[in-house]
Amino acid sequence: MRDIIELASIGLVSGLVIGLAALAVTLVFGIARFANAATGDTMTLGAYAALIGTAWTGSFLAGGALGIAAGAATGLLAYHFVFKKLEQRSSVASLLASIGVGFVIRAVLGLVFGHGQQVFQLPMVRPFRIYDIRVQPNDLKIAAAAIVTLVVVFLILHATPIGRRMRAVADDPMLAKVSGIAPKRVMIALWALAGGVSAVAGVLLGMKTVVSPEMGWEMLLPAFAAAVLGGIGHPVGAVVAGILLGVAQEVVSPLVGFTYKIALTYAVLLGVLLFRPRGLFGRNEGVR
Amino acid sequence: MTVTRRQTLAGLAGALSLPAFSGVSFAQAGGTFRIGALNPVTGAGSPYGSGMQKMILAAVEAVNAAGGAAGRKLEVFAEDTQTQPQAAVLAAKKLIEVNKVQAVLGTWASGVSLAVMPLTNEAGAILMNTSGAPALSVAPANAKGLGYRFQATNDRFGRAFAEIAVKEGFKRAATMAFNNASGIGNTEGFRKAWEAKGNKVVESVVYEPNQASYRGELQKVLAAKPDVIVTGSYLADTTIILREWFQTGENTKWIIPGWAANPELVKAVGNEVAEGLFSVDSVSNEQAPSFKVYDEAYRKAMNQGGLSNVYAAMTWDMVITLALAMEAAGPNADVAAINAKIREVANPEGTKVYSFAEGKEALKKGKINYEGASSVLDFDQFGDVTPDFGVSIVSKGTIERKYVVKI
Repeated sequence: MRDIIELASIGLVSGLVIGLAALAVTLVFGIARFANAATGDTMTLGAYAALIGTAWTGSFLAGGALGIAAGAATGLLAYHFVFKKLEQRSSVASLLASIGVGFVIRAVLGLVFGHGQQVFQLPMVRPFRIYDIRVQPNDLKIAAAAIVTLVVVFLILHATPIGRRMRAVADDPMLAKVSGIAPKRVMIALWALAGGVSAVAGVLLGMKTVVSPEMGWEMLLPAFAAAVLGGIGHPVGAVVAGILLGVAQEVVSPLVGFTYKIALTYAVLLGVLLFRPRGLFGRNEGVR
Repeated sequence: MTVTRRQTLAGLAGALSLPAFSGVSFAQAGGTFRIGALNPVTGAGSPYGSGMQKMILAAVEAVNAAGGAAGRKLEVFAEDTQTQPQAAVLAAKKLIEVNKVQAVLGTWASGVSLAVMPLTNEAGAILMNTSGAPALSVAPANAKGLGYRFQATNDRFGRAFAEIAVKEGFKRAATMAFNNASGIGNTEGFRKAWEAKGNKVVESVVYEPNQASYRGELQKVLAAKPDVIVTGSYLADTTIILREWFQTGENTKWIIPGWAANPELVKAVGNEVAEGLFSVDSVSNEQAPSFKVYDEAYRKAMNQGGLSNVYAAMTWDMVITLALAMEAAGPNADVAAINAKIREVANPEGTKVYSFAEGKEALKKGKINYEGASSVLDFDQFGDVTPDFGVSIVSKGTIERKYVVKI
């Protein structure tokens, strides 16, 4: 039992990171209406920017802030130079272009930083125990950072005028337009937000693991899986699905073998979609 | 200087006609024997790749300075594998089809060697590699017997791990392997040797790459209360696993292959986490005269000691071995005839020789046995060698060699 609770808590932290990445995917899908394959590489870019920021200032918070800024800037640049021009085309054009954007980001990062690994020099501390369950201080910090990010994002979506407009566009773009909502400002807010969220996911993943140019790209499939599982375009769904996948992976894979860890994600996805084809939270409710 | 279009065209035409000319000289004088230096200059193998390539060039220079092999000079075409199978396959295709090389030397990483080998087999060319996967020994990879491995197999690494675990007095060993031929090869080799000594592996886990966490895997292994964990792993996953392990608060010992437990790893996890890790790597034939010759060449080319790059000693030996086999096979021998002579010049019986020039002389009198800079270089029926293994322990952030194990 103690083992299962520990495994679930490990999965919770991994799941929060997957959930953040899925949130970035689902936000873009809900509003710009395509699956953004550059999400993973925006994560990577955020992680590298945070490494630089941390090296400059010696503070993980300041480094993280630089990472978020870099992620948001990347989102805006990608929108301005690529996705804005493809807005009138089919979503397949944007999807393909996003694969290209991701490729460019990855290649540039590889060129600038090399393909070797880099790490955040987190202090390595031994765990403490609550009711004989091991709790790792670094995990608590990572989970706290993820939760704060989620709260901020949902506050932006639900308690600010621009958030309300974003939700309106997600719900019905034509209706939003005739109601006088300028789509361009909504798009700018969306890309900055999605870029920033991706960057946070990248920084947290980098802190848990190691930073390399391919790290984000390799997280893309779990992120997509969580976005689909949550009901694509549904922010809460994406986060919940991310956590669900993370916990399921950790708790079940010791029983079936760790080589099935990745396959397990898809087994869960398949299972849920068989019974709820719209995902956990369904498309109809959207970002509303 | 500005380059006009006409000059560019003339230059291009000149460059294009070069292979044609060398083809002519090839036909007339027995000419040159072409080899490809296919090394990991960039990517995960980059700490070793440049040195490996430069030692191929240096050894070729030494062979040519001694008058070439059986009247033929060696000519090198160098390429980068990027430590990626796809890039390596493209480069190997170019070497074989455009440059017409007859031997490819110095592939690193099992995935790369396994990908390149079908191409060299198809072309009837020799492939000399520095990779560990057991699959490289046997058919289909080495179906034609054209493959030679200058590094220990993962299986032999595993045997060395078992020797060390016994020597250090460990009783309850567990294993963790990266899910590929090399990782599982290490831990399976360990299991066989460890069980043959009457011990048991208390838990073994095979894990997937690129996971956000390896804590579930660690928890399962640690639940069996091992006193040592033996890995078949790479740098990135080892970094994540060791950091997570330290944060579980457990005190186990680790035996890790040298390509993962290197200075990069110590830097990434910090001195406290790395303290007491066992790092195991094959060692060069450090006391042999051949190592001295190689060491001198390495210092000249790379400005540091030859000990820093075990793989460069292997590529040095590749050229010398190949050249001696050519010498033994006689003028204008084809690849098959040269291939048939490789074991003859490298394995006992015969006069022990330590350089190409020495071997060339000795071949006039009878059989020779080249003792390499990387190992004594005796190939078994699969084209594998058995080097010795160095055991290092991390202490206060530095990796210090403690002793050498022979299997």
